[in-house]
Amino acid sequence: MKELLNKVPCREKQLNTLLDLFGEYDEPLPYSIFISGSMATGKTLCLTNVLDYLRYKHITIDCIECYSPKIIFETILAGLQDDDVETKCETLSDLTNYINKFGDDKITYEPIIIIFDRAERLRTMDQTLMCTFLRLREFCNLNICTVFVTHLAYDNFYFKIGALEPIQIFFPNYTRDELFKIIILNHKTFIDQMLSQHKIEEDISNELAEKQLFANFLNAFLTVFYRPCRDLLELQHMAQINFIKYCEPIIREEIKASDVDRLWRHITPVLKSSLAHLYLRISEGKPVSPSKENKTELHKLYNFENSLKEELMSTKTFAQSFELPYYAKFLLIAAYLASYNPPKEDKRLFMKNHGKQRKRLQQVKAKAKVTEKLTTQLGPKVFTLDRLLAIFYAILEEKIGLTSN
Amino acid sequence: MCETYDTEPLALKIKLIRKYLKIKILEDNVQFQDHEIERNHVHDLIKRVISHGESHSALIIGPRGCGKTTLINTVLEQLESELDLESDCLIVKLNGLLHQDDKIALKSITAQMQLENAVGDRVFGTFAENLSFLLSCLQSGADRSCKSMIFILEEFDLFCHSGRTQTLLYNLFDITHNKQAPMCVLGITNRLDVMEMLEKRVKSRFSHRHIFLFPNDNIKPVDNYKVRLIQLLSVPLSLTRKCGGTTKKKRGGRRKSVVTEEEMDVELNDDTIQYAVPAKVFTRCKVDPKQFQEFDENSLVYWNSHILSLVENKDIANALEKLCYFTVNEQIFRNILFQVVSRLNETSPHIDVAGFVTTIDNTVGQEHRVKVLQSLSILELSLVIAMKQGMDIFDGQPMNFEMVLHRYKKFVDKNSSTQTVPRPVILKAFEHLQELEVIMPVRSTDSIYNTGDTTTSGVQKEYKLYTLAVPEYDLKEAVKTSKSLPTEITFWFNNEIF
Repeated sequence: MKELLNKVPCREKQLNTLLDLFGEYDEPLPYSIFISGSMATGKTLCLTNVLDYLRYKHITIDCIECYSPKIIFETILAGLQDDDVETKCETLSDLTNYINKFGDDKITYEPIIIIFDRAERLRTMDQTLMCTFLRLREFCNLNICTVFVTHLAYDNFYFKIGALEPIQIFFPNYTRDELFKIIILNHKTFIDQMLSQHKIEEDISNELAEKQLFANFLNAFLTVFYRPCRDLLELQHMAQINFIKYCEPIIREEIKASDVDRLWRHITPVLKSSLAHLYLRISEGKPVSPSKENKTELHKLYNFENSLKEELMSTKTFAQSFELPYYAKFLLIAAYLASYNPPKEDKRLFMKNHGKQRKRLQQVKAKAKVTEKLTTQLGPKVFTLDRLLAIFYAILEEKIGLTSN
Repeated sequence: MCETYDTEPLALKIKLIRKYLKIKILEDNVQFQDHEIERNHVHDLIKRVISHGESHSALIIGPRGCGKTTLINTVLEQLESELDLESDCLIVKLNGLLHQDDKIALKSITAQMQLENAVGDRVFGTFAENLSFLLSCLQSGADRSCKSMIFILEEFDLFCHSGRTQTLLYNLFDITHNKQAPMCVLGITNRLDVMEMLEKRVKSRFSHRHIFLFPNDNIKPVDNYKVRLIQLLSVPLSLTRKCGGTTKKKRGGRRKSVVTEEEMDVELNDDTIQYAVPAKVFTRCKVDPKQFQEFDENSLVYWNSHILSLVENKDIANALEKLCYFTVNEQIFRNILFQVVSRLNETSPHIDVAGFVTTIDNTVGQEHRVKVLQSLSILELSLVIAMKQGMDIFDGQPMNFEMVLHRYKKFVDKNSSTQTVPRPVILKAFEHLQELEVIMPVRSTDSIYNTGDTTTSGVQKEYKLYTLAVPEYDLKEAVKTSKSLPTEITFWFNNEIF
């Protein structure tokens, strides 16, 4: 029991509820359980650990992998049988028949748990499917329980025909303190990763391995990152990247490990800049090549940041540097104009003989500036090919054949 | 309070009680209370079919969780003790959820009639041919003229699939008319409008016998819950002396005794028998009822009085009343009881009043949407607020990412203290919101581009239009209750629309 709690930190309440609900081996299970909570809050982790601890028979079905009912049925059956017998199963009634047959062979009242991970996908299938799974126990003479794991609230599951309400468990997000606790548990992996990347002298590495140092870093890290992101996985990933940078001045023996203030001053700009790459995973390729980084140690920090920015810009620069043929450029411009200007203003903007309209053009421009924001916010509009070509000829000012180039 | 228990085998006792109650709450779908008239009606109907060879059809209609299936189960069980069900009739149970089309249903009927061999590889032209063949098989097989058949169609409304023809229903109802074989068709449904879904030819063959089942006809819902609470959680004292088999026989005779009387004096052994789990249930669960004989009588009496004192408790009465406003579904109630019972263990051998109340609260007032909103990061929550305000200004018009970003930027510019994040990160946060279904894409039909279906796929993701899928009061609640929210955001939410 203790072991279980240690394995899944900061989830005592949920673990206890699950353990209570599943009860002991010979007790009946509830009909169905519905577990919801945001991403990376330990839903699946809790569930699998509890089941491993209890040693119940359980079948996990990832609803992304099993995209059709048939595959779901067959995975369930394959999970039930110990030997690998491929059973064909197309419909729900087949499934219950098979399960019942399976149940008749058993002497004991063995608990079986079927887990539907990412259950939100079940909604795209037939409505009756989930309704049936919610009350699967009613149809089978087995001690069977279905568990749905999803990041959506139960309200988002709407059944026209109504369904048996499951027991619901909610996993709230980790609070800041809990995040701190969990990440600090992985302290050792952080150190290991760093040691693998740098050649570090013995006494310094001992200094680095100290918990206090890491805790200080984590505090600083979370103050910056907790606001825009609560996803544990993402935070852990970012922390890993940043911790290495945090330790670099210590490795270079510029700043002492005990000098918290200077370290803090050193890390804040780094954190700020890496905040820009949150969720984007742009920097992933970089830290893999340690040997190269060691050589250019002095310039590395600077380089590293620069390269990140470069990569972030790379899609933009690619688009900019991409050299289009002469006419294609004009076509692109024409397409832009066509998609952002209303068609009724075409005449004013592109016709040759405006006469007095020249003045009005300026008014139009002034007006456009006000509404510009709104139109760009609405996004590009649809235009016809004829209109595109008309604008293209208007801005090109030279006559070329439609088929040339 | 623990004095009445011996300290040593306490864990074992609690475990036994817990197991017994769990079985009772979950598996006992045979016992049925109240609704005497309806029960007798169904009972008469089936009995007439079996013993007099009449044909009937009926619909049992009632809201979810009011005990329609349980009613059928009790009646069948009662009949089993009165008649020789096995040789006299065939019971075919179909469920609309499982048997989605006629082919599967027919296959299942064949299996339940144990006629797979007879059918073999035969090919039938129509559904009717197939069904009548099955019936003729029955006739020739038995020495009697024909066995009577009882069809129980659960989720009856699902058999009335719209669009396809209702062949199964038509044929079943048709047989009830042409006296080929005595047959009873019972449909169970929760839809009041089920008659409108029937085809004309099906409707005309149906006997129009409706049996309505409403919970709490003649009893206040709160009282009903209280009675059920006692019934479901009490332990029969008879367990100590008799094994399951005798209990069951006795139950048949005594079930008619008035419920209130039993409430008065639980101490009398005979009355607690009605709290027992039928032996059939035990065999289904493959549990040996003998293991429950180890109960010692004093602790059982103590337990039952504990349950009675629970009902007396004011907090629980209040909570039950609250539940009544919310639902009268018995299955939900059983779920609650299950959760409460599962919490029993050595350290907490009694049902905890506070725990009971919170379980009900959780079931009634699940504000999951608020919880989801609270679990958002501050960036995401501010995007939601930005969107809400944008929709206030534009009178509920859907918004795209650019508009939300524009509004959010305005807010950030005013409050220099907030950290700025670059656009791609905000876009990610926006997509996260979409994944959580806090915001929903607008259906393409009412789009302003009037190009039909292509808009949702054709427009870049920044310009896709979204509406807020959470109601305003949920958002308000979330902002009010979330703890680590910076003050300027609360302030922003409450006053300024700029």
